[in-house]
Amino acid sequence: MVVLAASVLSKSGKVLVSRQFVDMTRIRIEGLLAAFPKLVGTGKQHTYVETENVRYVYQPIEALYLLLVTNKQSNILEDLETLRLLSKLVPEYCYSLDEEGICKTAFELIFAFDEVICLGHKENVTVAQVKQYCEMESHEEKLHKLVLQSKINETKDVMKRKASEIDKSKIDKNKGDKGGFMSVGSGRIESSFSDMSISSSGSGFGSGSGLGLTTDVDSFSTKSKGRQLSSATAPPKGLGMQLGKSQKTNQFLESLKAEGELIVEDMQPRAGQARVAAAAPTDPITLTAEEKLNVTLKRDGGISNFDVQGTLSLQILNQEDALIQVQIETGGNPGILFKTHPNMNKELFSNENILGLKDPNRPFPTGSAGDAAGVGLLKWRMQSADESMVPLTINCWPSVSGNETYVSIEYEASAMFDLRNVVIYVPLPALREAPNVRQIDGEWRYDSRNSVLEWSILLIDNSNRSGSMEFVVPPADSSVFFPISVRFSATSTYSDLKVVNIIPLRGGGAPPPKFSQRTNLITENYQVV
Amino acid sequence: MLSFSYSQEMEKSCTLLIHFDKGTPAIANEIKEALEGNDVSAKVDAMKKAIMLLLNGETLPQLFITIVRYVLPSEDHTVQKLLLLYLEIIEKTDAKGRVLPEMILICQNLRNNLQHPNEYIRGVTLRFLCRLNETEIIEPLIPSVLQNLEHRHPFIRRNAILAVMSIYKLPQGDQLLVDAPDMIEKVLSTEQDPSAKRNAFLMLFTCAQERATNYLLTHVDRVSEWGELLQMVVLELIRKVCRTNRGEKAKYIKIIIALLNSPSTAVIYECAGTLVSLSSAPSAIKAAANTYCQLLLSQSDNNVKLIVLDRLNELKSSHRDVMVDLIMDVLRALSSPNLDIQRKTLDIVLELITPRNINEVVLLLKKEVVKTQTGELEKNGEYRQMLIQAIHSCAIKFPEVASTVVHLLMDFLGDSNVASAIDVVVFVREIIETNPKLRVSIITRLLDTFYQIRAARVCSCALWIIGEYCLSLSEVESAIATIKQCLGDLPFYSASEEGEATDASKKTPQASSVIISSRRPAVLADGTYATQSAASETAVSPPTIVQGSLASGNLRSLLLTGDFFLGAVVACTLTKLVLRLEEVQPSKVEVNKATTQTLLILVSMLQLGQSHVLPHPIDNDSYDRIVLCMRLLCNTGDEIRKIWLQSCRQSFVKMLSEKQLRETEELKAKAQVSHAQPDDLIDFYHLKSRKGMSQLELEDEVQDDLKRATGEFVKDADDANKLNRILQLTGFSDPVYAEAYVTVHHYDIVLDVTVINRTKETLQNLCLELATMGDLKLVERPQNYTLAPESSKQIKANIKVSSTETGVIFGNIVYETSNVLERTVVVLNDIHIDIMDYISPAVCSDTAFRTMWAEFEWENKVAVNTVIDDEKEFLNHIIKSINMKCLTAPSALEGECGFLAANLYAKSVFGEDALVNLSIEKQADGKLSGYIRIRSKTQGIALSLGDKITLKQKGGS
Repeated sequence: MVVLAASVLSKSGKVLVSRQFVDMTRIRIEGLLAAFPKLVGTGKQHTYVETENVRYVYQPIEALYLLLVTNKQSNILEDLETLRLLSKLVPEYCYSLDEEGICKTAFELIFAFDEVICLGHKENVTVAQVKQYCEMESHEEKLHKLVLQSKINETKDVMKRKASEIDKSKIDKNKGDKGGFMSVGSGRIESSFSDMSISSSGSGFGSGSGLGLTTDVDSFSTKSKGRQLSSATAPPKGLGMQLGKSQKTNQFLESLKAEGELIVEDMQPRAGQARVAAAAPTDPITLTAEEKLNVTLKRDGGISNFDVQGTLSLQILNQEDALIQVQIETGGNPGILFKTHPNMNKELFSNENILGLKDPNRPFPTGSAGDAAGVGLLKWRMQSADESMVPLTINCWPSVSGNETYVSIEYEASAMFDLRNVVIYVPLPALREAPNVRQIDGEWRYDSRNSVLEWSILLIDNSNRSGSMEFVVPPADSSVFFPISVRFSATSTYSDLKVVNIIPLRGGGAPPPKFSQRTNLITENYQVV
Repeated sequence: MLSFSYSQEMEKSCTLLIHFDKGTPAIANEIKEALEGNDVSAKVDAMKKAIMLLLNGETLPQLFITIVRYVLPSEDHTVQKLLLLYLEIIEKTDAKGRVLPEMILICQNLRNNLQHPNEYIRGVTLRFLCRLNETEIIEPLIPSVLQNLEHRHPFIRRNAILAVMSIYKLPQGDQLLVDAPDMIEKVLSTEQDPSAKRNAFLMLFTCAQERATNYLLTHVDRVSEWGELLQMVVLELIRKVCRTNRGEKAKYIKIIIALLNSPSTAVIYECAGTLVSLSSAPSAIKAAANTYCQLLLSQSDNNVKLIVLDRLNELKSSHRDVMVDLIMDVLRALSSPNLDIQRKTLDIVLELITPRNINEVVLLLKKEVVKTQTGELEKNGEYRQMLIQAIHSCAIKFPEVASTVVHLLMDFLGDSNVASAIDVVVFVREIIETNPKLRVSIITRLLDTFYQIRAARVCSCALWIIGEYCLSLSEVESAIATIKQCLGDLPFYSASEEGEATDASKKTPQASSVIISSRRPAVLADGTYATQSAASETAVSPPTIVQGSLASGNLRSLLLTGDFFLGAVVACTLTKLVLRLEEVQPSKVEVNKATTQTLLILVSMLQLGQSHVLPHPIDNDSYDRIVLCMRLLCNTGDEIRKIWLQSCRQSFVKMLSEKQLRETEELKAKAQVSHAQPDDLIDFYHLKSRKGMSQLELEDEVQDDLKRATGEFVKDADDANKLNRILQLTGFSDPVYAEAYVTVHHYDIVLDVTVINRTKETLQNLCLELATMGDLKLVERPQNYTLAPESSKQIKANIKVSSTETGVIFGNIVYETSNVLERTVVVLNDIHIDIMDYISPAVCSDTAFRTMWAEFEWENKVAVNTVIDDEKEFLNHIIKSINMKCLTAPSALEGECGFLAANLYAKSVFGEDALVNLSIEKQADGKLSGYIRIRSKTQGIALSLGDKITLKQKGGS
C-alpha cells in the first residue's frame, strides 16, 4: 500500500504539480503521468485506471484531475480515502481551480500533500490538521521568542548600567590615583568585556540569525581582536618597562580563560618555541649567531625599510671552559658593520678575527642552560635599499569581480636562503565562514578570531622558490588585506659568520673544548604594507 | 517544453514536478538580488523561482552560496520549507558520487532546525532527512534526530521515527545508527500517538523484522484495539513473514480473523487479501470471499466494487470450487446500475456455473431481464443485451435450461435495441439446432411474434430460422401465411400511385438524402465489404408511399425503405417453404397455389425494385437472387431441393461445431498454460538476476509490484540486439564522429550517443543538440562538454514518446575549438523511430472491430503490389512484417478460391487501436491485386503503418 505520487493534471494532460513519495526517476514519473490522460476513458462511472504496473486513482475537479499513482497491490479503500482528503485540501489552497490557480499555489499544495502522505504511507489527518501543520503556528516558538526578548531587554539594562559605571570609573581614573590603576583597569576591562559578549549574543538572536553560535563568536572576535594582537606583539618589544603592560594583558587573557573562552595563543608560543629550540645547549660551549630581520616592503614593490641586526652570543656551561677565545670568519659582506662588546679586545678582532676579552685572565661569564640569552660577543647591522637582498617578496593582488573578491598572492624567495617554517599572515575582513581557497601551494588555516588567513609553507628551497595562493572572499576593499606579515627562519645568515675555532687560553696543548654552533636568521618584523 | 536530460540525471530520483511557465523566465541575477534582500515575500518568490528553474534543468551553481548566506538564516517558516525543497532537488554529489564539500555548510542549519522551538520546523526537517541519501550530511545530525524521538509533540516524534528508519535503511545506515531498532522498540512500547506508533512499527518491520513479530506476538490480544494504520502494517508484516516462512502462519491466522471484524473497511479488505495469500484452505478462502462480497454490497463506490470484483475474479481462477458456493452473493452486485460492474459480475458468474446452481442463476438472470423492461434507465438496453448474452452462454453450457429461458427471451425479438434483439435471434437459432425438442414450440412462438420484429437483420435471421425449421405441414403453411401477412397486400405500390411517384419523389428529397448519407460500406464477418442501409436498421419508417397498408406488416415497411437484401431473404425463405411444402403436402393443388402466390410476391418485389417509387433501384445481387428463386419455383429438381433443404442446414451445423471446437481449444490452451513444463528452469530466489523474471520471483510480489511501479525493473536487452540497432550519425571523416544506439522503453526512447573527437585539438563546449518531429519530446536541456583530442564521450539523451507515430529525431553537434572562435556545426543523420516498437498484436471481438472501423476517421488505402503469388502467404507476410493479429478465423481462410479477406488488429502501448483490412484477389495472370486499408483514430498510425506496409509488402526477399 504505497502511494507513488500525488499529482494535479489539467484535463488536457498537462502536469501541473506532482509530488513523488518514493524514489523514482523523472523519466518514469513523467512517462506515467503522460500516459494517464490517454488511459482515462470518458463516460466511465469509475475513477481508476489500471495498467500493467500501476494503478491510477483520480478525481476530476472542475478543469483538473487530482491523481494518485499507486502500485497495483495498494489498498483501494485507503487510497480513495486519501484521494478524498486531498480533494478537500486542493480547494483550501487554490482559490481558482484551474491551471493558473494550481501553478500559483503549487508549493503550498506540495506542502499539504506532504502532510497527508509520508513515504508513501497515509497519515491519519484531517483537513483542519493539515492546515494547522502547514500554518506552523507554534506556541512553543512564541514562548521561546518571548523569553529571548525579555533576556535581551534585561541584558540591555545591565549594559546601560555598566556603561554608566564605566563612565564613572573613567572620571575616577582621570582624577589620578596611579597606584590603583592596574587593578581598576583590569577589572574594568573584564567587566565591560563580559557585558559585551552577552549583549552581542543577544543581538545575534534578535537579528534572526539561525547561526546563533557563530555570530556570537564572530562579534566576540572582532571585539577582542585589537587586544589580542597587542598581546601577541608585546613581548618582543623589549623587557623592563614593558613588564607592567604584559602583565596586564596576561591578566586579561586569564580573565578570558576564566570565562570559558578558548584563547588562541599560537603566535606567542610559536615564537617562543623557536627560541627554546635554539637554546637548549648540551655542549659545554655554544655559540649562536642570530640575525633578526626587520623588513617593510611596499605593497606595490620596493623596500621602505630593510634592516638586519645580528648578534653572536656565547654560552658556556662550565666555569672550567670559560677561559677561551673565539676564532671567527665572516663572509666579507662590506655592508655589514661589526661591533664588539665593550669588554672585547677590539684590536685582536680587527686584526685576527679573534674574539677575546680585553683581560685575558678573566673568564667569560657562564650560565645555566635555562638562561637562553648567553653573553653577547658581537653585534652587527646591515641596512640596504637593494631589493635583491630581500629574502622573500610577497605580491598580493586583490580583485573584485561580481560580488566576490578574488585575492591572488604569490611569493618569490631569493636564492640566498632556504626558508623554513614560512607563515604568511593575510588579514581578512570579518567573515562568517572561512574564505574559499581556490588554489594553494602549501597549507592554509583560517584564524577566525583574528580574521587572519595563515598560509604556511614548511620549507622554501630551490624546488619552490615561488608559489601562489588564491582565495575568494565576499567583496572587500583591497586595503583590508594589508599589512601582510611574514614569519620564517633560515639557517644561514647575511653575515655568513662562522666560528672557526675555539682557542683555550689555559692548559697549553690540551685539545680545544667541544663547541657547538648555531646559526639562525629569524624575522622580527617582516611586513608588506 | 523542449528539454533534454543526460546520463547523470538518469538515475537520480525525482521528488517533485511543477509545471513551468516559459512565459515568465526568471533570471538568476534577479533571484539572487531578491534572496539577498530583506523582504520575506520577495525571498519566498525567489526561492520558488529558483526551485522551478532547477526542476527545469538549470543548475544554478552560483546560487548556492547566496542561499547559504542569505536564506539559511531566515526566520520565516515558508522560506525554511522552501529551502528544504531546494536542498532536496539540488545536486549534492559530484560526478564521482562524493558529497560536495560545500554541503557541509547546510549541516549547521539543519541541526538548528532540528532543535528549533517550532515543532513544525522540526517535523518538516526530519521529513526532509527521510529523502536524503548522503550519509556525510546526515552523520552530524544524528544526535539531534535521536533527541527528537522523545519530543513531547507527536508531530515531531512520528517524523523522527521515519527519519531514523530512512537513515537506517541507507547503505551504511546500520553503522550510523547501530542501536536504532532498540531505540525504536522502546519508543514503540511507550508511544501513544497512532501515527507515530504506526511509523515505529513500520520501522521495526522494515529494519528488524524479528522485533516487529515479537512485539506483535506479545500484544496479540490488543491488536484489534490498535489504530487502523497500525493494523494495516501488521497485516503487511504477516504477509511478509508468512511468505518467507510458511510454517509460521498458524500463529497469525488468529490475528487476521480478529481483524476481520475491524470497523475499518480498508483493514477488512486488506485482511481478506492477506488471508488469501496465506492459506488455500477452503474455509479461509471462503472467509475472504465472503468479506469481498460484503464489501461489494456495502460499498457504494464503483471503484471499490470493480476492484473487489477483480479480487473475486482472481479467487475464482485459483479456487473455483469455493467460489461456486458464493455465486449468488456475487450476483447481488448486479443491483448496481453501473454497466462495468454488471459486466464484470456476469463474467465472473458465468465461469462459476455448475449444474447445481444453474437454475438459480438463470432464474435470477431472468428476473433481471424482466426488470430491465420496467426500468427507465437509459443503459437498460445494453444491460439487457449483456444479460441475454449471459443467458445464451448458460444455455449452451446447460441445454436443459434453454427451454425455460428461450420463450422469455423471444419476447425481446421486437426489442428496439437492435443489438439485443440480434443476440436473442442468434441465440434462438443456435438453440433450435442444438435442442431439437424445443423446435416445435420455438417455431410456433416465432411465428406468433414475427410481426413484432422491427430490425431488418433480426428479420432476416428469423426468416432463415423459419425457412429451415418449419417441417410439418401446419408449420409450413402458417409460416407462409405469416410472411404473407407481414408483406401486406400486393402490389407494394399501385399504378395510380405511380403517377404520384414524381410527386412523391419531390416530397422526399430530404429523406432520400438522409438515407443516401447513411449508407456506407460495412465489413462482413469474413472481411468482405457489403453495402447496408443504416436507415433500415433503425427501423425509421420513410415517408410512406403506400399509406393505407402500413399497419399491415413489418416486412412491407422494411422493403419500402429499399432494403432489398431483406427482400432476397424473404424470397429464399418462401422458396424454401414451398419446396418443403411439396414434400409434406399431399395435395398438388395446394402446392401449386402456394407456388403461384410466392411467385406473385417475388414479382412484385422485383417490380418495386425497378419502379421509380423508391430512391434506389434494387441491387443486382438481390435481383439475381430473387430471379433465381423464381426460376427454381418454376422448375424444381431433386438436386436443387437437396441443396436448398439440406446443405444449408449442414453448413450451419458445421459452423456451430467449429465454434464449439474453437472454444474448447481455447479452454485447453488456457489450461495448458498454467502448468509448468517438466523441463522448466527452476529459479533460486537468492541467485536471481534482474534479467529474465519468472516463476519464483512472484514470491515477493509486493516488493516486485512496487519496483515495477517505480520502474526499477528494466528489461536487460540482448547485447547482440543492441548492436543491431547502432546508427551512424556522422561521417567517418567528420571532425566529430558520432553513433547512437536506440533503446525503446515503454514511454521513452534512450539514445546512447558515443561522440569521438577525431581531431588533434580539444573541442570545447561540445553540445549535442536534438530536435524532434512527430509526437516525441525531449527531456531537459543539453549540456556542454569538453572533449580532449581523440577522446570519446558517452552522452545519453532521453526522449519521451506520447503516441504511436513514426518520429524523426534530428540533431547536430556544435563545438568550439580553441583557435577558432566561431562555433562549428556537424549535422547528424536523422534517426527514425520505428512504429513497430510500439505496436503489439491484440484481440478484439468482431463487433468491436466493426464499430471501431465505422468510427475511426483516418483511413490509409494501400494498393497491393507484391511478388508473392499465394494469398495466404501474402497475408502471413503482412502479419509478420507489421506485427498484428489476424482476427479472421483460420477456417475462414482455408481453401483455394482466389479471394482472401482478413481483418488484422493491433494495439499500441499507448492504448491506440490500429485496424487493418486486407482484401486480395488472384488475377488471371496469377498475380495478387487488391487493397490493404488501415484505419485508426489518429493520422499518425494510419500514415506510419501505411508507409511500413508499402515498404514491406513487396516481399520476395
